[in-house]
Order: sequence, then structure tokens, then C-alpha cells
Amino acid sequence: MRRLEGWFGLAAAIFLTVGLYMALVTSPPDYYQGEVVRIMYIHVPFAQTSLLAYLVLFIGSLWYLWKKDPVVDNLSHAAAGVGAFFTVGELFTGSIWGKPAWNTWWTWDARLTSAFVLLLILMAYLMLRMFMDDREKEARYAAILAIIGFVDLPIVYFSVEWWRTLHQPLSVSQRGLAISQEILIPLIVMSIGFYLLFTYMIMVRTRMLYLGHLLEAKKGRLLSQAHL
Amino acid sequence: MSRVMTSFYIRWGVVLLITFVIAFLGFQRYQKDVASLTPDQILQNPSPNKVRVVGIIQGGSLTREDDSNRAFFLLQGVDKTLTVRYQGHDTDTLRDLKIVVVTGRLNAGTAELDGEAISLIPNYGFVVAAYLLGILPTFFFLFLMERKLRLLYTEVKEAKLYEPEAMDFDKE
Repeated sequence: MRRLEGWFGLAAAIFLTVGLYMALVTSPPDYYQGEVVRIMYIHVPFAQTSLLAYLVLFIGSLWYLWKKDPVVDNLSHAAAGVGAFFTVGELFTGSIWGKPAWNTWWTWDARLTSAFVLLLILMAYLMLRMFMDDREKEARYAAILAIIGFVDLPIVYFSVEWWRTLHQPLSVSQRGLAISQEILIPLIVMSIGFYLLFTYMIMVRTRMLYLGHLLEAKKGRLLSQAHL
Repeated sequence: MSRVMTSFYIRWGVVLLITFVIAFLGFQRYQKDVASLTPDQILQNPSPNKVRVVGIIQGGSLTREDDSNRAFFLLQGVDKTLTVRYQGHDTDTLRDLKIVVVTGRLNAGTAELDGEAISLIPNYGFVVAAYLLGILPTFFFLFLMERKLRLLYTEVKEAKLYEPEAMDFDKE
């Protein structure tokens, strides 16, 4: 497992190096947006990874409620932490892109609002995991919260299609491809890099949480023995 | 410092180095393809090379010849204005008071710019800000996670080592 983790880390590093080189050096400016289009190569992968993280959290939560597997619970917890980070990244880079593109840092547009709600759900999940004493109850309640919160995911994704928003519609949809190849290739490379990075982060964080729990249990056991 | 931590810091040193190299290449590309001068700078230090000049089209100065794709206008800088004779695409997109970047060569005799291409202001500061706010925290987040993981490993190992001692202490 640790070797696999290393390979994911290495693959992410390679894809991100090539992707960043293409995004900042070789890709052309856009006809309408000029140089500012380069923000897309980082903003879109952040957004995609944020959705992927929640999907992992959702599936992990269902799995946990069904099988009560603590490893899957750790994985879900890890996905929530990493997902919250990527959602913050999505909102920040999007805000920076919004200023030159829309002349505003923030607007209560359907896509932006639903992405912000996703962040709030993830924060609530993480807070719930921080402040409960009973580990089993904590995992169960957190899983239920994650499953209820999943309702926001399709809203985030389809908001640009369901409502007339300031945010641009989906670039890849049933209507076809709305991006030229010169821009699409660096975007795909960066997206793959982010997916690999996310997988690597999840693996690291899952182990980190496992070791934290192990240490806590060990300390607790030693302490209880010392008090006998 | 343990061997585990040394290899960890070396790995992150390599990541940092690669990041710096890409940032440097990005900066070089910016200097080559994006960075522009103001009309004041180009008039103070005339250059025979192709230059990019950024400024505002002075109100009322724009005249267009649609048939020949030519336009004439004054590009306003801080204190000085530069006369631009532009021939190329998109003359219909030019407007009074619009900020544009004109690429061309300065005619040394007339001190006028023979423009070949017109582009939007690059707003490159936003691009830099987005990448700094995106990439640096990601690396920092990952660095902290990996570091904590290694420290936890060490702590777990040490906890195992001290377990018999604690039990001995308990017996006393």
C-alpha cells in the first residue's frame, strides 16, 4: 500500500510539473480573456477535485453505515479534510478569476453559492468529528451528515445548466466541446495531476488519522494500566 | 535528525526546486510575451526592436479606415502620448478611452509607433495571485500532513518501546 502511495505521489508530481509548465509557459492566451484564461488551469482542477472528494466522502459514508468498517471511516474523514481544502482553493482562485472576468470578486450566483454551501457542509462534518467523545457515535453521525449533504453535489454541478448564472456553462457537455484543443490539453493534464494528488493526499491523511487513533488508544491503554 | 526526516526534507527540497524552475520559466515567458512598456518609457528610451506598449486611446483621437484595416490614434501614457499608426485585424474593436496593448516598432524619424497587433491588457497580476494562492497552500498543506505522518510514526514506535517501562513502573 505504501509503495502504491509513492507511485501516486510521483505520478502526481510529474503530471503537475508538465501541467504547470504548459499552463504558464506554452499555452496560448485566449482570444476574449487574454492571459487571464490561465487561471482556468488551476481553478477548474480545484473545483473538480472538490466534487470528487465529496463523492468519495459520500460513498465512504454509505459503506461505513453498511459495514461499520473503521478503515473506510478514516478514509471518509480524510476525504472531508482534503475536500474542504480543495473547496477553499476553488473559491479563492474563482474569486481571483471573477474580478477581471466579471468585474467582481464575489456574487451570489447559483454555482458560487452552492460551492460555498458545500464548504459549509464539509466544515460542519469536520467540526462534528472534532467535538464528539464517543468514536462510534461520531463516525455514525458524521456519515449521516455527509449523506444528507450529498444533495448539494448535483446542485453544484448542474447549477450552471439549471439556472441562468454569471458563471459559464459546462465546457464539456452533450452539446459538445466548448474549448479549443490548445487550451483543453493543459487543462486535462492539470486535472489528472490534481486527481492523482488528491488520491495521494487521501492515502497520506488516512494513514495519519489511523496512526493518530492508534497512538491515542495506546496512550489511553498505558494510562489505564498506570492507574490500576 | 532521523534518516526518515532527512529523506523527507530532501524530497521536499526537490519539489521546491522544480517549483522555482517552473516559476522562473513562467517569468521568462512573461518578459518575452506579456510585459509591456508605457508610452513615456518608449519615448524616453526609443528602441529599434519590436515592443509592446500599453496605454489608453485618447478621447477623440481615433480615426479608422475600414477598407484598409488601418487606424490612427494617440496612446496616452502618464505624461506623454504616443502616435500609433496601426494596420491589422480588429480595428473595429478599438474605442476611445479603451486600454490596449499595441505591438509594433517605433519609427525613429517620426517618433510614431507602427502597430502590427493589438491585444487586451494582460491582467497578469491576477494570474500570479491565483497560482500563488492555489499552489503554495497546496504544497504547504501536503508538507504539513506528510511531516505529521512521519512524526506520528516515530511517536508510535517510541510508544511501543516505552510500553514495558510503563508496565514496570506500574508493578512498583
